[in-house]
Amino acid sequence: MNKTSKWLLALMLAMVLVLAACSGGDEEADGNESEEPDTTEEEGNEEEPAEEEEPAEEEAADDGLVSIDDFGVDKTNAGEAIDGGTLNFGLVTDTVFEGILNWTFYEGAPDAEILQFFDESLLAIDNNFNFTQDGAATWEMVENEDGSVTFEITIRDNVNWHDGEPVKAEDLEFSYLVIGDPAYEGMRRYALDGVVGAEEYMAGEADSISGIEIVSDKQINITYAEPNPSLLASGIWAYPLAKHIFGDIPVAEMVESDEVRVNPIGFGPFKVESIVPGESVSYTANEDYWQGAPKLDGVTLKVVAPTTVVQALETGEVDVVDTFPTDQYVDTVDQLNNVEFLGQTDLAYTYIGFKLGTFDKEAGENITDPDAKMADVNLRRAMWHAVDNDSVGQQFYDGLRWAGTTLIVPSFPDYHDPSVEAPSYDPEMAKKILDEAGYVDVNGDGIRENPEGEELVMNFASMSGGDTAEPLAQYYIQAWEQVGLKVQLLDGRLHEMNSFYDLVENDDPSVDIYQGAWGTGSDVDQRGLYGRTAAYNYSRYTSEENDRLLTEGASAASMDVEYRKDIYKEWQELMVQDIPVFPTLYRSVLVPVNERVTDYSIQWSWDDLHEVGVTSEEAIVAE
Amino acid sequence: MWKFIVRRLLITFPQIILLSVLIFLMAQAMPGDALTGVIDPNVSLEEKEELRERLGLNAPWHEKYADWVGGIVQGDFGQSFRFKMPVTELLEQRLMNSFWLSLMTLLFTYLMAIPLGIISGRYNDTLLDSSITGYTYLGFATPLFIFALVMLWVFGYQLGWFPTSGSVTPGLEPGSMEYVISKFNHLLLPALSMALIQTVSTVQYLRSEIVDTKQKEFVITARAKGASESRVYNKHIFRNSLLPIAAFFGYEISFLISGTIFVEKIFGYPGMGLLFLESILLRDYSVVNAVVLIFGVAAILGALLSDIILSIVDPRIRIK
Repeated sequence: MNKTSKWLLALMLAMVLVLAACSGGDEEADGNESEEPDTTEEEGNEEEPAEEEEPAEEEAADDGLVSIDDFGVDKTNAGEAIDGGTLNFGLVTDTVFEGILNWTFYEGAPDAEILQFFDESLLAIDNNFNFTQDGAATWEMVENEDGSVTFEITIRDNVNWHDGEPVKAEDLEFSYLVIGDPAYEGMRRYALDGVVGAEEYMAGEADSISGIEIVSDKQINITYAEPNPSLLASGIWAYPLAKHIFGDIPVAEMVESDEVRVNPIGFGPFKVESIVPGESVSYTANEDYWQGAPKLDGVTLKVVAPTTVVQALETGEVDVVDTFPTDQYVDTVDQLNNVEFLGQTDLAYTYIGFKLGTFDKEAGENITDPDAKMADVNLRRAMWHAVDNDSVGQQFYDGLRWAGTTLIVPSFPDYHDPSVEAPSYDPEMAKKILDEAGYVDVNGDGIRENPEGEELVMNFASMSGGDTAEPLAQYYIQAWEQVGLKVQLLDGRLHEMNSFYDLVENDDPSVDIYQGAWGTGSDVDQRGLYGRTAAYNYSRYTSEENDRLLTEGASAASMDVEYRKDIYKEWQELMVQDIPVFPTLYRSVLVPVNERVTDYSIQWSWDDLHEVGVTSEEAIVAE
Repeated sequence: MWKFIVRRLLITFPQIILLSVLIFLMAQAMPGDALTGVIDPNVSLEEKEELRERLGLNAPWHEKYADWVGGIVQGDFGQSFRFKMPVTELLEQRLMNSFWLSLMTLLFTYLMAIPLGIISGRYNDTLLDSSITGYTYLGFATPLFIFALVMLWVFGYQLGWFPTSGSVTPGLEPGSMEYVISKFNHLLLPALSMALIQTVSTVQYLRSEIVDTKQKEFVITARAKGASESRVYNKHIFRNSLLPIAAFFGYEISFLISGTIFVEKIFGYPGMGLLFLESILLRDYSVVNAVVLIFGVAAILGALLSDIILSIVDPRIRIK
């Protein structure tokens, strides 16, 4: 297992995909029956020759296309906040939430939304996901003589659990001990990666983790064997587990306990008052919150189906939701005149990958096959040139998704390199590349054969879920056909998520090309997704240069941010040269906020829920 | 009578066993497992393999089956992978929700179906009958998931008469009067939406029965004896027409717990249908198996109940 990456959101995205698959449309598409014909029609336009593309696009530009640049990330305040009031928060999901309300144990993204109101990390982050000193604890990094590095974390004196007990250093240690316990069945084992003594503890050879030292009630030192830039980029597990409550519960029973499900506890701005399993949670203000008592009296969180979220916002039933289904935005933005839409680039991208080899499970290593069907980089580059992702974003997503360029999304302003010249839509160029690489039509059927003169048919695997999945896959196939490449949908249909990953993960020989998506997590370390030993490197691409850059990017030298930036710039460049996968779309997140709400924000670094207020008792209703 | 019921019960057992094997094998045949969906570079393949081993996902099917059945006999359906809690507890929560929703729906369904069916049958081929039949055809043609959305939009959001989602207002003390009223209030709209669609088949059924029975000879006899028109309808025709409906009631029991996916989804109502669908998609096998088994058993018992009701009301079909 790789030692450093912090890809929390990858799991969340996987969950989102599951949800999307569930219903025929969580964020992908739902409820907008009227929009469907439009999409298909416009998708038809894209089959037309390139000359007609231009006017179609311009027409679309007048047609209410939106750009993520037009959105702010902070709510503009409309008036003074009143004293008290209750915020109604909508959790947009088709599924119920599981109700595992503890950072140490939760798995589903909906549970995380519920958790953020009443519990938080000890360490705050900035918009690049680097730790700051503004959280409930401060920290200091000390480089030891033996090359290891120690983080000295000091919890502020006024940080208390909801029951009044102070949050102590031993609570954080306890969290590590529980995660490393053999009986722990959650997904947080990565928190212990690199911590000195964690291996011994997990193997049962030690009663505690030697690298974790409690200095005083409020100070804890955690030692990692090697310095690693990811540690600074929110790579330290900083969610304490209340020892005075969980201390007596056997680890195996914790996740089922009432302390997780019925009366969960934290040290966040709100306390959980009551939970209706699967549908709602009521919170009251935590007057003892370490950043100061919240302005609001409380928060009511309830599950809202994606099909009815617009009505819920319009009538003021909910003030704010976690994410708004972006496909409904254009049709409803005029109707929703009682809310302000906030938006930013999402921590995720959609991509198309090429199968270049297999994963050797014995050796735990990706083996690139130089004779693979997709092994020729010219073929891959031509295929990138052949697709018009900006149009896809406009036609299918009203401009709320747009063509991706590099594999590090713009949400990492420090690392994303906008100057990388990624292949753009240019079918003539695609044809030229193919001609030069020897992919020509030798038998006159309009389809190019490979340089050996054999027929070339590629299988494309894509996931079902949402109304757009099918037309989108068909579009790509048609776009490739335009440049003379024959691509067919694997088995002639889309695959349900579980089957899809079964095929892709196990390197099913019938898959040549696949379309997937990754949540990027909060760290730019790419070893978990593109490293030589990464099982999730589904394309099975490897190269010496890639190894070098990824190792360098996670090395001690990269503790220097400037150096690390350069390394990842080089890596982004390399990926555009070698094209094992290419990003198709970057995405946006939209969050509508009722006009009565003040001081709300969706910045990644934002942790001031206690400052949120409302200007009136009742939510403002749309006119 | 008792002989009949016992004999009927004896046939039921092999049915249930066969059902359980089928369910189990079909669940096993689904591609992927609970961990396939965990696509997270933080969780390595080895770790997933280890978890699979620990959760017994790699064992051969007959071993898993034996485990599973062994648990069920002791009332233990296993652990839900997704919810991390015993399936039995999970089902308890959801079953109650689905039960109340379905009971309410059933109530509304019969409250509407019986008078409408009778009127329509009694005054057949009048304008009144035509409009009632018209409604039933409309009902047949309307998909429930569209209708429920429209109902929600009109009565929930535009008029604001009913709560729009969930099974209870957040923050109420369970067991208090307010809580019960709120629960009832949350049931009304989904139950009505379902009943308005559900009722049409029963209306049609009742109507054709009545139209049929009207021409039977015993009705002519009754009229000839000078029985009043209302007596003819209430005593003779109505009772005889209700027979098939009473028999149908047993099948409704399975509907009572299976809930409906569409309505639960639209109204964000956590019941069995929703649980079933989510568990399939997330490969939460223990829940899928348990839910299907319960649906299956309910269907078998429902059929049994129907047979028993029929045998009580109609001695002719008692198996000799």
